[in-house]
This record gives sequence, structure tokens and C-alpha cells, in this order.
Amino acid sequence: MDLPPSTTGAMAASDVPLGASPGFWREAWRRFRRRKLAMAALLFVAALTLVAICAPLIVGTRPIVCQYKGRIYFPAAWYYNRDWENPIFAKDRFRGRFAENLQAKDPQSWAIWPLIYQDPYRRIRENEWPGQPANPSGAEGRPSRYNWLGTNQQGFDVLASMVHGAQTAVSVGFVSMGIAATIGITLGALAGYYGRWIDVLLSRVIEVVMCVPSLVLILALVALLDRVNNLHLMAIVGLTHWTGIARLTRAEFMKLKQMEFVAAARALGASPGRIMFTHVLRNALAPVLVPITFGIADAILIESGLSYLGFGASPPNPSWGTLLSAGRRNIEDMWWLILFPGTAIFLTVLAYNLIGEGLQEATDPRLRQDAH
Amino acid sequence: MTSYLIRRLGIAVITLVLITFLVYGLIRAMPGTPATNQLAVMDPSKQLSPEAIARINRLYGLDKPWYAAYFVWMKNVVVGDLGVSFTRNMRPVAELIVERAPATLMLSATSLALAYLLSIPIGLWATAQANTVAERTVSTVLYMLYSLPAFVAALYLQLLLYVKLDWLPLYGMQSDAYESLSPVGKAVDVLRHAVMPIACFTYGNLAYYSRFIRANMQEVVRQDYIRTARAKGVGPRAILWKHAFRNTMIPLVTLLGLSLPGLFSGAVILEQIFQWPGMGRLYFEAIGQRDYNVIMGLTLMFSVLALAGQLLADILYAVVDPRVTYG
Amino acid sequence: MQARQRFGWCSVVWAASVLGGVTAGCSSQDRSPDAAAPPGSTQQADQKSAAGPSSQPFVLGNAVEPFDPPPLEELDKLQWEDGPVVDSLEQLRAEKAEAGPPPTSVEEALALRNDFPKSRENNDKILAALSQLAPPDGAGVDYEHTFVRHVAGDLNSTNPLFGSSVTDYELSGMAGFSVLAFNRRFEYFADKDIVVSWQRSKDNLVERIVLRDDLTWSDGTPITAHDVEFTYRLIMTDHPELVIPAVRQGTDQLRYVKAYDDRTIVYWHKEPFATRTGNMLWPVLPKHIYEKSVVEDPSMKRSEHHRKYEEQPVVGGPYELVSRVRNQEFVVRRREGWYMHGGQQVRRKPYFKEVRVKIIEDLNTAILALKAGDIQSMELRPEHWESLTAGDDFYAQNTKVMAPEWTEFHVVWNVKSPYFSDKRVRWAMTYAFDYEELLNTICRGLYEQGRGTFNPAAWMFPPDGPQPVKRDLDRAEDLLEFQLMTYTTETGVQVATLWKESLDQIGVTVNVKPTEFAVMQDKTLKHEFDACFAGWGTGADPDMQENIFGAGKQRNYGQYANPEVDKLFEQGRRELDRDKRATIYGQIHMLLWEDQPYTWLFYRNAFFAFNKKLRGYNFSPRGPYDFGPGFAALYGAAE
Repeated sequence: MDLPPSTTGAMAASDVPLGASPGFWREAWRRFRRRKLAMAALLFVAALTLVAICAPLIVGTRPIVCQYKGRIYFPAAWYYNRDWENPIFAKDRFRGRFAENLQAKDPQSWAIWPLIYQDPYRRIRENEWPGQPANPSGAEGRPSRYNWLGTNQQGFDVLASMVHGAQTAVSVGFVSMGIAATIGITLGALAGYYGRWIDVLLSRVIEVVMCVPSLVLILALVALLDRVNNLHLMAIVGLTHWTGIARLTRAEFMKLKQMEFVAAARALGASPGRIMFTHVLRNALAPVLVPITFGIADAILIESGLSYLGFGASPPNPSWGTLLSAGRRNIEDMWWLILFPGTAIFLTVLAYNLIGEGLQEATDPRLRQDAH
Repeated sequence: MTSYLIRRLGIAVITLVLITFLVYGLIRAMPGTPATNQLAVMDPSKQLSPEAIARINRLYGLDKPWYAAYFVWMKNVVVGDLGVSFTRNMRPVAELIVERAPATLMLSATSLALAYLLSIPIGLWATAQANTVAERTVSTVLYMLYSLPAFVAALYLQLLLYVKLDWLPLYGMQSDAYESLSPVGKAVDVLRHAVMPIACFTYGNLAYYSRFIRANMQEVVRQDYIRTARAKGVGPRAILWKHAFRNTMIPLVTLLGLSLPGLFSGAVILEQIFQWPGMGRLYFEAIGQRDYNVIMGLTLMFSVLALAGQLLADILYAVVDPRVTYG
Repeated sequence: MQARQRFGWCSVVWAASVLGGVTAGCSSQDRSPDAAAPPGSTQQADQKSAAGPSSQPFVLGNAVEPFDPPPLEELDKLQWEDGPVVDSLEQLRAEKAEAGPPPTSVEEALALRNDFPKSRENNDKILAALSQLAPPDGAGVDYEHTFVRHVAGDLNSTNPLFGSSVTDYELSGMAGFSVLAFNRRFEYFADKDIVVSWQRSKDNLVERIVLRDDLTWSDGTPITAHDVEFTYRLIMTDHPELVIPAVRQGTDQLRYVKAYDDRTIVYWHKEPFATRTGNMLWPVLPKHIYEKSVVEDPSMKRSEHHRKYEEQPVVGGPYELVSRVRNQEFVVRRREGWYMHGGQQVRRKPYFKEVRVKIIEDLNTAILALKAGDIQSMELRPEHWESLTAGDDFYAQNTKVMAPEWTEFHVVWNVKSPYFSDKRVRWAMTYAFDYEELLNTICRGLYEQGRGTFNPAAWMFPPDGPQPVKRDLDRAEDLLEFQLMTYTTETGVQVATLWKESLDQIGVTVNVKPTEFAVMQDKTLKHEFDACFAGWGTGADPDMQENIFGAGKQRNYGQYANPEVDKLFEQGRRELDRDKRATIYGQIHMLLWEDQPYTWLFYRNAFFAFNKKLRGYNFSPRGPYDFGPGFAALYGAAE
């Protein structure tokens, strides 16, 4: 082994079969599982995703399943899509108060309710649920038996907002960074690997996107659309925030393509695509993973910043960020609006970063050698 | 290298034209004009006659289609005139920028320097101590800071340092008695005002930068040449600093290049909280008021900086890593 | 049983400045009512100038229609009656004396906690005690006091003609010079400090005002009738570069204005309307500063000369600008030339030595500064009334008061949209809304429910006016889905969300959309919405509402049209007797209520915090400053 120091990669490359390499990802997963913290973080994100998906089953004011006038309905589906509510409830003038109306209008009816009777979109009034008092509002809304995490200014339950807001928290990160990572890595890799006019051209694209202010884009979009949701905003964030990733990928590729293992792979007849996205990329992941993992978490904070500035999604929009910015306005007497969503954001940021760290080490070709 | 530079500069000019053209089109396509906003703030007992509106629109160049107006703007820029602000009493845009630049720079340059100065040692330390309890604790604390939005932290700082302890001024950039102070006194006064905004501006970046450095370092320290160095008996400190850190320069230089335009863009929310007369607020308000010339002037400035940052990074690649060449 | 009906694109636009002050708080001279007749000749404005705007010569007063003013002797033959020339502070003092002494002493009042809305008693006690004026001899006034005020935005222009922001009007309220003003009941008067006599012709078409001879600008030059005429002609000038947005309307309802000598100024009205006096209010500029320079630089903003006077304006008011740090503060100082003339004191000495106006955009920051005593007064947002200003830390140095303001908030229905053209639909919306939740939870009991366009306390509110609407879902349950667009103030979004919840209950789906201010303005002006949340402050005269409800008017965002209402507005303008006018506007009020082009939600009150050293604050339906004497009555108490 009298190769110069910088050729370690060549050995790494020769370890991996040049054909299809399903073993690589299996191996990475095996290595990832060994990292306890990373696994805990992954479980946390999985649990969060589950909470997000099942939000209406956990907190809500509509039965998950009920029998009414001899038929079975799923009123909680309303939380997923307003059109999924059966017109019969509008016809019978339920007015969103299922607990009292089900009994009153059909004594034979039964219902399975969510775990907690609270709503992210409105204040619970007195006796909507037998024996449950009205939600307090403002500074009286501190955590209590009925509102575990307190209520906000308007008297909306914080726990309900956080559970339903988990949908936003989970989706915004993945959507925006999914878009950003795909575009960024692809363009960065192409520019760095091929160089010359491809680099010149793609670098200009990067620069143009970098310089168009995303606030202007968001405002233009909000003006165009009549109903803005978080996915729209996140698509914009994704479409504008890939430039950093692209630059970092490009820089790594410019460095790595000169390495011997690339030449070796080329000599062995690997296609440019395979070289780029299996051999080089694996070695270039370290600087790229950091902005991606931070970006996923950042999306939550960007969402909160946008609602703070007043350009968020259409309200009522239960999200952690909205809660935080409301908490800021009442910082001296409504600490629960900062503490709980703040903790949730912190845990999410931490989890994503731990996963990122784990992923980096699990996919590092050099560490594989250590394992042997 | 010289020919490379010349080529890059030529291309940069074309890129700039493209960017400004795009942005101009975008902002003109947004609903509302400077005149709309002037109407809005007027007393409800007043209304502008159609003639007056037409006159305002002509004065602002809104009677021309946007591409035509863009070329008028560009022609003026070429001779060094950035135009005037429609909503700020027709003050020249260049004057507005010059007025705000020092305050912005003071905040962002200090904070950027601080962030790098603190996070490089933290990152190196975290590499050396990887996965120890101390390292995990420090990283977790940094993540915690990262997840705390600056607008929340700012208020807690104000409550602590101004209300409770009365150590630092609450807002603004200078005291009432500023004019009567000695030059040293003036500097101290401004510095005291700057402490809280700078702290808020900096703490969030620490987690990101130090994590970035650690991630890159970890990649490098596993390379064979580090092992070789270690086998040769080089001390761990020297390995980290001399051998490993130098090899993480490429991503670091990229990051530095990316943060250059941020020097002038300021921070909207923090500037508002601390009433700091920076550029972020100006930009944000200009967009809200559809003050086209100000938006364009600032976009141009940011773009120049961004392009300069990229160019600088590209040149530095070749300096810090001889394997990178430009032909 | 109705099926679930769907509206296509409706949008409720949430009007805007809502909580930050619906109407820009103007100084009295700019708040003239507007007759909204077609503007005067605008021949210049229609010319397209290919070579750019500056190529056009500047002709002062080119929009004034030709008129041949008679010689002064001719005017003497007219039959005259006197207009009110009063010392507004003395007038207010007389009113307060009539109302009797306050129930509590200042010390007792300052020890009270203002627990409004739980009870109004303490609020009224505080206001009664602290609104007492300084005695005529100025005893108890600390003439060395520096008053530190708060504003939320930067000073845009120091030239009152170009005033556009609240802060601009704050400056002109302290430093500006205007011949006429109005008191807190919106009655016009000429200020004794400025005017010797005010005569009005019997036919209400000519007015003659004689100025005092001891008035000087801050550079020492005397203030004369020629300055008034010059400013009139300046306002009435059409030039492509000169934009005077706020003052033109109203002023163009005058036929002519002429200064016969240094002190005598005569105004001719086009029509003898009830609103005519309001047309004579404009801020006066020094002729000797601008006469020549405006020809060279018609924009009045760009030349070296104009920029110099922008930084150091020559003013005629009680205070003058002494320093200005952009985005931080500006400072005005008591002007000796105002109250001293030829070594004699000729006017009341202004109470403050200096007024420092601090610009702090972030209100949380401003409240912290207030508590520490760094600023001495600020307008509070309703959300801060209970939460941040109720503790010992606030009361250590400050107190706070609430006063009713004639500012109403509503949702505008676009009556040209297919969904709201039928007034039954609009009534259904009115019945569907949950007023109790709005008033008690969102507004925290701080406001009264809306009962139509005029405030119940106003003179034009009909004696048997409408009662507040009670929510009635059964009556409302007729209609269905529309989209709500909103500007994003905190309360704005909260109210919109409540609409959504209220209508959700009867199967109407509302989508709340936060909209940037400029977008919302654009859409309302173009009527591209179905419904819109907004608020209006009050003008000095109810006639200003023609801009809002008159067919085809600019501020009639909802395109409401009712010929009867238009006719009544015309009648109200021509009627000079206030009682008869009250009946006419009462009829308008009832017609509007009947038609429900708006759903009136609530009347907003004014909330202010003041340092305990301050005294003499009185409120008009437009807040504590925007009337005569207003700011001039405030003083710092001597220890």
C-alpha cells in the first residue's frame, strides 16, 4: 500500500461491487441500527408521524365512529377534508356539536370518541361535552385538567393545536428539503463532476435562484393563489433553498473527481451516472447532510417566521410556529405558549440532527472498513 | 487565472441583468402599486381623482409596461443612478442604502465573525471528544439554542438585561446624549446598544456551523493520511489543526461564500424588536409598499455580493486545495 | 331543507390598518371633509409629456379656475356675520368648569388601578382627574419638562403638505401652522392665537379672515396672508412632478382665495354647503422659502434647497424641529418666536420645553421602555390593555385610560358579487355571527357591539337607532360557502377565524386568507372580493361617509348603491342647520342598517398609557391629540 494518502477512496470504491450494490444500503441500515441515539431519534420521528396521521383520533370534537339513525358514520374524517362529512349532519342542524346532538336527535345512537375532547380550530364552550367547562382564554388559559398544555389567546386548546400541528411540522420539513435536496444534489453533482460549460451554466442557474428574494416569490404566490396552504409555501422554500446544497455538492465533486478511485471506476467502465451517484456522492455526503438535516428542522422555524410576519398559510392553521409567535406577544403571562411548542420544535430539531449524524456515519465507506 | 477572472466577471454581468430583469418582472406582477398604498393610508374623507392617480403612476413610471420600465431603470443604473424611493419622500435609493449600511454591517459582520470564531473551536473540540458525555451535552445545548427563535430570545434578553439588571439599553443605536459624548464615549455607547442584537443574531448559527465543522472533520479524520500521521507520532492537537482541519477548508469556504450576501441583508424581525436601523427592515417595508426602486436597488446590491461570494469561493477552492483547477 | 350551497370565489378582505389606526391620525388641518365633487380643471395632467416630466414649466395655481376678485371696498358692502374666534384651551376650561370638579384628587386618581372592562368607574375617575387643565397662570406646570412620546413609524416628510404617515401628522400637530381648527365636538373655530377676526357673508359664499400681526415663522420672517394664499395656489397646481396627495380634495371646492394685504385673507366658496368650512383647512407653508425654489424643482423634494428645508423646516407652530435621527427619533423644542414678540409675551407659553418623539416599531419593546420611564406616553393595543399593563411594574410610573372613539369595524359585503347582492343573504350573515364570542373572548369586553355606521354617541345617530343584533342561527341558516381573505393583524385573523367557526356551524365553509396590505388594497379598490373586514375612523363631518356609501365612490369597496342614500347625502350637505342635518344623517343610518351593506361588528375605543407626571389629557372621538386644544392642553406637573 504505497499509494499517496488521498487515495483511500479507491479502496473504498473497490470494496463496493461496481454492479448493483443492494448490500450497501443494507449494510448502512445495519450500521445505523447500532447507534442507539440515532435509533431513538428515528423512533421519535416515526411516533411524531403517527401522531400527525392520527391527530383527529387523539384530539377532536367529532366522533371517530358513530351510529346515527341506524347508519354508521365517520365524522372525524372532517378534519382531513371538509367534504368528507356526511351531509346528514348539516341537514339535521348538528352545528358541529356532536356530543349533545347525537343523544338529543337519536337516543339509540352510539359513538367512539377521540381520547381528548378539544379542538384546534375553535374554543370549547361550556357543557359541549357533559361536565366540561368552557375553555378559558387569554392569561387565564394556563395548563389545567381540561387543557393539559393550556389554551391560547382565543381559548383554543394548545395540545389540540400541537397534535394537529404535527402534520405541518412533519410535512413541511420533508417536502421542502425533499425538493431542495433532489435539485441541489443533482445540479451540484452535474456541475462539479462535468465542469466546463455545464458548470458555467448550472452555476449561473444557482446564482440566479440564490439572488431572487424568496419573500418576493412567496408574496407573488400568495397573491396568485386563493387558498394558501403550507405545502405551497414549502414548495417555494424547497425551490429556493437548494442553492447552498448545490454549491456544497459541487465543491465536493470538484475535489473528489480528481481522486484515483473515480479514475479507477471510470477505467472499469462504470457509467458517469453510477460514478457520480454511487461512488462520489457517498464520499461527499458529510457537508451535504448537515444543511439537509438542519433544513428539515429549519422549515418548521421558517413556517413560524412566516406566520410571525403574516405570510403564513391560511388561518386557522394550527402549527407550532403560530403558537410560538402568539406566545411571543404574551411572553410575560403566557409562558405555556412558548414552553410547549418550543420543546416540540427542539426535540424535532434534535431528532433530525441525530438521524443525520447516524446516517453520515452509517454511509461512510471508510467506517465500513473499520467494521471488518 | 486572469483569463478565468475576466470570463467570470463578464458572465457575472449577464447573470446580474438576468436576475434584476426577473425580479423586476416579479415585483411588477405583484398586485398593488406604490400609489395603491398611498391611497390606503389617506384619510377616508379624501379620495384621489383619477387624474391625480394617473399623474402619480406616470411619475413612478408605472404607465410603461414593465419590461420598458426595466430598461429605463437599467439605463439609469449604468450611469450610477439607482433612482429615488417613492414612499420615502423621494430620497435617492443610494442615500438610503448608505445610511443603513453601517448599522447593518456592524451587526452582521460582528455576528458572522463571532459565529466562526466560536464554532470552529467548538467543532474541533467536538471532533476530538466525539460521543463523550461532554460533547453530547454541548451539542444538545446548541441544538436547543438553535430551536429557540430569535424573537423569543430577544424578549427574554430584554427582560433580563434591561428590566431586571439595567445593564444595557433597550433599543435603538444611540442614547439621547449621544451628540455630547466624546469619540470613545460614542463608540462605547453604540457598542452597548449593539450587544443584545448581536447576541441574538449569533447564537442560532453556532449549532449549525459547529455541527458543520464536526461533520466534515469526522469525515477527514478517518482518512488514512491521518492514521499515518498519528502513527508517525504527531500529537492529537497538531493532527486536528494542521492535518485534518486544512482538509475541511473546501466546504468551509463554500459556506463562507454563501454567507457573504447575508452581511447586508440584515434580519427583519430582530431589527424591528431592537429598533435597529438596518437593511432588513428597509427591504421588508419596501416590498410591502411596492417601492420598486428601493427593492431593485437592494436586490442589485445583494446580488452583487452573492456573485462576489461565489467567485471568491471558487477562487479560494484552488488556493486551499491544489487538486481543484480552472482551465 | 337546503342543500349545501357553494359559493365560488368569494373573498373577505380584511382591511388593514385596522388596529394600527384605521385612519391615519391626522392633525386638524388635514382632516377636512370632502364634498367629492368633480375636481377642478386638470388640463395639464392630461398632457402626455414625451420628454419626461421635468420638461413642463411650473405654473403656480394653474388648476384654479379664472376668477375676478372684487376690490376690498366691494367686499365691505356684503352683509357679514362673525365666525367663532376662540381660545380653545379657555373654551375647554369653561366646559370643564361647567361639568363640575372631578370626584377624586389627582393623587387619589393616580393611585387607582384601571380595571376596565370589569368596571368603568376607575377609568372615569382617572380621566376626570387627569384631564384637568393647568390654571391660566400656569401654576403647577413644569415648563422645563421634556415630554418623551412614542410613535410606531418613522417620520416620512417634515413638510406638512406631503404628510402621509401618522408620525408626519404628529409633527405637524406640534410644529404646523393652520388658520382654522376644530374642537372635540368637531366644531370649527379660528384660533385666537392666530386670528383677529373671522367674518362670513350672509349668503355663505365668502369668508374674510384677518390674521394677527405678531406671528412669525421660525426664521423670524412674519407670517402673512400671502403665505396662506401661496399655499392655496401651491395645492391647486397641476404639475407632473408635484404630488400633494392628501390636501387637494376639499381645497378644490373653493372658488378662489386672495390675500388683500399682509393680514386680510378672503375665501370664496363654490357652493354654500354645510361642509364649506372644512375646505378652508390646510397647513400653511412659508412663501419666502418656497416661492422661487418650487419653480426650479416642482417636486419640492429633490433640489439641494428643498432637501435642506426638509431637514430643517421653517415652521409657524408653537414648537420647532431641532433634531432628527432617522428611524430613531425626532425632537421639537418650544419656540420663543411663537409666544414672544418684540420683547413682549403675546401668547401662552407652550407647556413643554422639548418633545422627544421616539420611534419604536415593536410594541413589546415600547411597553418595556414605558414601564422604565424611558417614554412617557403611548397608544396601547387592546391586547396589551390587560396583559402587559396591569401589574405593579406598569403602575409604578404610569397610569392608563380608555376613551370612546368613533371608529367602527365591519365586514363589507360586495353587493355586486352574485352571493351578496340580495340583502337577505347579508342579513343571514349578520345573524350567523357569534357576537358574544367576538366581544367577550376576542375583544375581551373592551368594545361595544356595532349598531350601524355612525357611533351611538354621535350627534347624527338616530334617536331610535337600531339595537345590537343577537345571534340567531335558525334565521341565518340559508346560505353557504365563501372565502374569507384577511390582512394579518392579530385581531384581524382572530375575527376571521371566528367567522369561519360561526358559519361552519351552519354548513358554510369559510376559508380565511391572510393577505398582504398592498394586495388587499388593490383588490378592494378593484372590487375583486366578496366580503371584506375593515374599519373606518370618523371624519369631522358625517358628509365624509359619502365617499364610503355613495354610488360609485372610491371608498365604496362593496359597490353599494342606493339612490335614496345618495339623495340624502346631497341634502345633508346643503342643509346648514345641525339639528336638521342630524335627522338626515339619522335617516341615512337607518337606510344603511336596513340594507346591511356591512355587518357592523364593534366600535373600537382608544387606549392610552401616560406617565404619572403628565396632566391635562382630553379625548375627542379621534383620540387625545387630533383636535383643538388637544396636545396643547398636555403638561408635565411640577414636583
